[in-house]
Amino acid sequence: MSPSDPDASRFRASATDRRGERDLNDLLIHVARGDQDAFEQLYDRLAGPAYGVIRRVLRDPSQSEEVTQEVLLEVWRTAARFDPAMGGAATWVMTIAHRRAIDRVRSSVAAAEREQKAAPVNQLRDEVADAVEASLDRERVRRCLDGLTEVQRESITLAYYGGYSYRQVAELLSVTLGAIKTRIRDGLIRMRDCLGVN
Amino acid sequence: MRLLRDDLHTLTGVYALDALDSAAERDRFARHLNRCQSCSSEVRGLREVATSLAFAAAIEPPPELRTQVLAAAARTRQLPPEVNHHALPRRGARVWGWMPWLAGSLAAASLVLAVMFGFMQANTNQQLSQARAQNQEIAAVLSAPGARLLAATTTKGGVATVVLAAAKRELVVTMSGLPALPAGKVYQLWLIGPTKIVSAGLVPPPAASGVSPAVLASGIVTGDKLGLTVEPAPGSAQPTTTPILALPLPL
Repeated sequence: MSPSDPDASRFRASATDRRGERDLNDLLIHVARGDQDAFEQLYDRLAGPAYGVIRRVLRDPSQSEEVTQEVLLEVWRTAARFDPAMGGAATWVMTIAHRRAIDRVRSSVAAAEREQKAAPVNQLRDEVADAVEASLDRERVRRCLDGLTEVQRESITLAYYGGYSYRQVAELLSVTLGAIKTRIRDGLIRMRDCLGVN
Repeated sequence: MRLLRDDLHTLTGVYALDALDSAAERDRFARHLNRCQSCSSEVRGLREVATSLAFAAAIEPPPELRTQVLAAAARTRQLPPEVNHHALPRRGARVWGWMPWLAGSLAAASLVLAVMFGFMQANTNQQLSQARAQNQEIAAVLSAPGARLLAATTTKGGVATVVLAAAKRELVVTMSGLPALPAGKVYQLWLIGPTKIVSAGLVPPPAASGVSPAVLASGIVTGDKLGLTVEPAPGSAQPTTTPILALPLPL
């Protein structure tokens, strides 16, 4: 990762930069007090990853923009409920973002829409791999994903980027539910160690 | 058969990726997290991995989104922080200095046990309905807003654990580890005020655990202390011995 790459510093994951994470927590605390400047700065740091992950799950750009707007507004509205003891600000915001995207996918209307747009699983896997490979900044995450077994990697990317429930992932990969649970968990633990998350 | 707990524990990864099948399943696991310290700390770490996956997928959103979001924020009222209304606040609870917080929660647990014991001891219908009625009053004290946990040892050993609901002017007390008394003697509780002393009832005999069933005392006035004396059975109108406990009750 090149430190001079502006994207790299902008989209650096909380888990990889403790100083950045502290700043984000501090920004969010100021947001909770109604500080709109702090909210702008928070937007500039977190809108990219939030939009990226929502878009990965929903695929449709206009729906993704709509959900991203909802998520960031929710961050503004509920900033006072953020509890640093439960994790950093970036994780808090990404959890809301991913959850909102999943809720949208799981809602029946969106499910029907998605049915029509759904790509074959193989193609989806390739897209996920491409997307992860696309950026220099993503090198570390890609390298850590590479360190997983194929089933671990597929389970994690289908669940997180594909927005599939673990039952659906089990079905797609023709593996038992119990196996999917442990593979996702083992894979994430290996990723955690690889990324150096505490 | 596999333990449900182990089964739930392996769901940490699935939960961290929001890949449970329904909101109901998610809520169920979230409740489990409240009780499982190791699960919740594992989920915290795995969520950070998910955050890295999100950052790896970052895309610059369209510029108009920024304008829209900032404008929407400017006209949206924020939620106030959640204020803790728990009956036994974990921090800020007035627990007497020598008593660490952990002991406080153990004492609270022993209070609950004591309440249950009062229930189990009732062996007639009338006793049972009395126990029920008293239980409700005790529950009301335990869950009163601003209820405080107090504790003190008696001069003869044993611990008095008190939940004081200042606004209701009521308290619930349970005793543990009091020395056994010879036949014909009882422990009696008192509200010792600046001008008068009122009986707050006898301490019921302890369960096998050494914890006595909870006693409810009402009508506390400013300046009252909770007192405990040894009295001849079946109790006295006014104390006849030196109190072995005099716990101030901050109202």
